[in-house]
Amino acid sequence: MNLKNILNNFLWRKEEKYDFTLCQSKNSNNANYIDDQLNLPENMFNSLSDNINIIKSRFNSMINTDIIIREFYININQRKIKAFIIFIDGMVDLNLVNNYILKPLMLNTTNNSENKILKESNKKNNKFTRSKKIFLEQSISNTLLPQNNIKKQRSFSEIISSINSGDCALFIDSLPFAFDLDVKGFKQRSISTPNNEVIIKGPQEAFVENLRTNTSMLRRIINNENLIIENVNIGKITKTKCAICYMRNIANDDLIAEVKYRINNLEIDSLLASGQLEQLIANENYIGIPEIISTERPDKTTKYLLQGRVIVIVNGCPYSIIMPGLFIDFMSSPEDSNIKPYFANFLRLIRLLSLTITLLLPGIYVAITNFHQEILPTELLNSILSARQSVPFPVIFEILIMEISFELIREAGVRVPSPVGPTIGIVGALVLGQAAVSANIVSPILIIIVALTGIASFAIPDFSFGFHLRIFRFAFIVLGYIAGFLGIGIGIFVYISNLCSIKSFGVSYLVPYAPKEDSNKNGYIIPPIWKQEFRANYLSTKRKEAQEKISMKWRYK
Amino acid sequence: MDKTKLGTFEAITLILSFVVAHTVLSLPKALVDVTKSSTLLNILYITVLAVIFVYLICFLFKKFPGMDILDISEYLGGKIFKNIVGFIFIFYFVISACIFLRNFAECLEIVYYPSTDIIFIVLFFIISIPITSKLNFNASLRANLIIVPLVLMSIVFLFFANIRYFTPQRIFPILGNGFKDTFIVGLTNIYSFSGIALIYFLPPLLKEPSKLTKLSVTGIIISSIYLLFVVSLILFMFPVFVSLDEVLPLYTIATYVEFGSFFQRLESVFLLIWLISFACYLSIIANFSFKIFKKITLIKDTKPIIYPFAILALGIALLPKNYAISKMYETKIYPYIMIGIVFFVSLALLLIAYIKKRKGEKLNE
Repeated sequence: MNLKNILNNFLWRKEEKYDFTLCQSKNSNNANYIDDQLNLPENMFNSLSDNINIIKSRFNSMINTDIIIREFYININQRKIKAFIIFIDGMVDLNLVNNYILKPLMLNTTNNSENKILKESNKKNNKFTRSKKIFLEQSISNTLLPQNNIKKQRSFSEIISSINSGDCALFIDSLPFAFDLDVKGFKQRSISTPNNEVIIKGPQEAFVENLRTNTSMLRRIINNENLIIENVNIGKITKTKCAICYMRNIANDDLIAEVKYRINNLEIDSLLASGQLEQLIANENYIGIPEIISTERPDKTTKYLLQGRVIVIVNGCPYSIIMPGLFIDFMSSPEDSNIKPYFANFLRLIRLLSLTITLLLPGIYVAITNFHQEILPTELLNSILSARQSVPFPVIFEILIMEISFELIREAGVRVPSPVGPTIGIVGALVLGQAAVSANIVSPILIIIVALTGIASFAIPDFSFGFHLRIFRFAFIVLGYIAGFLGIGIGIFVYISNLCSIKSFGVSYLVPYAPKEDSNKNGYIIPPIWKQEFRANYLSTKRKEAQEKISMKWRYK
Repeated sequence: MDKTKLGTFEAITLILSFVVAHTVLSLPKALVDVTKSSTLLNILYITVLAVIFVYLICFLFKKFPGMDILDISEYLGGKIFKNIVGFIFIFYFVISACIFLRNFAECLEIVYYPSTDIIFIVLFFIISIPITSKLNFNASLRANLIIVPLVLMSIVFLFFANIRYFTPQRIFPILGNGFKDTFIVGLTNIYSFSGIALIYFLPPLLKEPSKLTKLSVTGIIISSIYLLFVVSLILFMFPVFVSLDEVLPLYTIATYVEFGSFFQRLESVFLLIWLISFACYLSIIANFSFKIFKKITLIKDTKPIIYPFAILALGIALLPKNYAISKMYETKIYPYIMIGIVFFVSLALLLIAYIKKRKGEKLNE
């Protein structure tokens, strides 16, 4: 080591910072580039080597470690035919692949009796083509693949899509198509209880991430062939499978067509969850109120299906989305139909009260303390004033501190790992609340207001709707601070007008109240179940009657 | 179906909204000032006249299915005449709404915002006009469907909450200042049914035009019942010769409401409901003015004129120098403008158009 190096090491060292910058090419569009580069042919070739080259190139089999391509020979009538299968490791049931694809093809193909029968029948029957290809295809399909779901795919794009979704493809030399074998076997979550829409009385199962499991749950509950489940793929890259579900004999054709029209006209690369789809197909509104119901409950979904609404389930997301979504739906809970109407209506009134409290209470508090003190009884006013005496901040600052703190606690409570969850509640509610009052940052009455608002917001059954109210609460706080009841009144009017202008899939949001329409007892107040004879008019269903005029016939026999 | 078509309930509440907005101001007191203790009798009398008048309008409209007063005026005197009639109605709507707004803002200033400049209070209402007008025509009409019942309920609540202060004997003498004052001078009280002005524009807007007569008469009868409640409150609670607080008489009455020791002063809550209904009334006026303007100028979209209209409304509302002047307009000038335009000019126009149509039909026969 020379002197220079020693000096460099101890005295001065050139700073070598690792700096990576992503090069941005001005004209490149990566997605188009990949597609152009591959230039995938539409249909498959007769030559197996051509097909395998294209498949290998498409799946980047040299890099992708989970792409399994197995080449082998099939023996048919002492003739060796080259073939290969391709599947994605982890998405298929390897047992099925080994025992019911590879084993029959590789081991049991020597002059078995069925092949002979097939050969003879082909000879006798002139209708059958005697070409070798057809014989090969039939003998493989009918005798060598003991699978219940086999499709012949001629285009590369279709077979690639099937492989991506967990199927196994079988390519055989001289055949210009591939066998698409359903051997899906990936690990998935089993059906569990709903986490976010908990009810006391009623079914306790929730959707899962698998589309077919979800549609099977709907089929199982509805148990009627008029339930239509149409599949569509959304996303140029992900080609996410979605199921559009509706009751053919109940749902309005225009509504179904509108949902399909919007879904089929989406030009996006990927769709990962139903929340994204919800945003993509709903109308824009200024106040960000949800126009589509989202639920994890199959029973709730079924209820809406039977009302004549259209449902969409996205593969990979344990939520269904329901269209159209109206104001009264967001204030309803799945439990309402499982309890007596008196209790259900009481709960609905409580929810309406909770909506008012969530939206207006902090704003009204600010308005009263700043402008309309006379509304309070003298004793209460005195106690509020004495409680606020030592608080150095104006009311608006005080309430904003507490409301934002509450939002922080709520957000942290959602994100925090579950073992630490209760700590957040203790820290938030007890320590922060108590400490803030003791430190004279906020008054005790304000803690009550914020707590009441928070509790009321939890009583809103729909998360998105509750979120909307939480945001608009701040607007009313500001309006109350600026102009008291004048500001709040104008705010309420603008808010109601906005609600009145919204349409969800052609249905007015505040129906059946504004515009006033005959809801056939499908309004906010629930009648007894025997009185629910008709479906709501505003959905213009094909089948108006929901049950017989006298549903409890036992009473009259 | 046309997206702006109105249902029966919407149309009825539309007619009511004008009366509601006016009663929040000084209408009930103005009625009592004219006819004193015979005001209730007078209201019944003018209700009968208003119903007959509405029947007559609806009968005349039957000859012109699906047409409003502008179409009829075009039929009668061509496009120029249609424009004149259109501008008369815009003038009536805008001027009356702006002056009512000024009065209401003045009252709010006196009651709650003594240190606030009037422009800020007026501005709050004016801001709501472009916001709601940009939504769609139906938005404020449907909002009205929710708000008007609330106002009606608030008045019924006021009535029953104050019933212990009532002195029913105050309706005597039943003829007030005499027959002449009740039935001849009191005839001018018919201006309280200001919602009739909208009936001239309803036929093309209705989902079921055949129900025009039914809904118009229903609207007038409900307005009448509402007026009876409101006037009863004033009449039974205060002696007619005692000058009631000139600022928002209904607000003064609301200050008397108390339930136990907790709910002692609920007038702010009532005022909240009334100011929502007043904002709704302004928005309806703006929407109808835009609709008329669109019809006479044949513009495709009214959105570009929303802000100029709002600025114009702000300017007009700030024109009166003080509350006394704007109040004088409301109580002394407005009734005659309303009666002139709604009861005389429009009716005469309809009658002439009817005669022309009849003559045309006879000639064709």
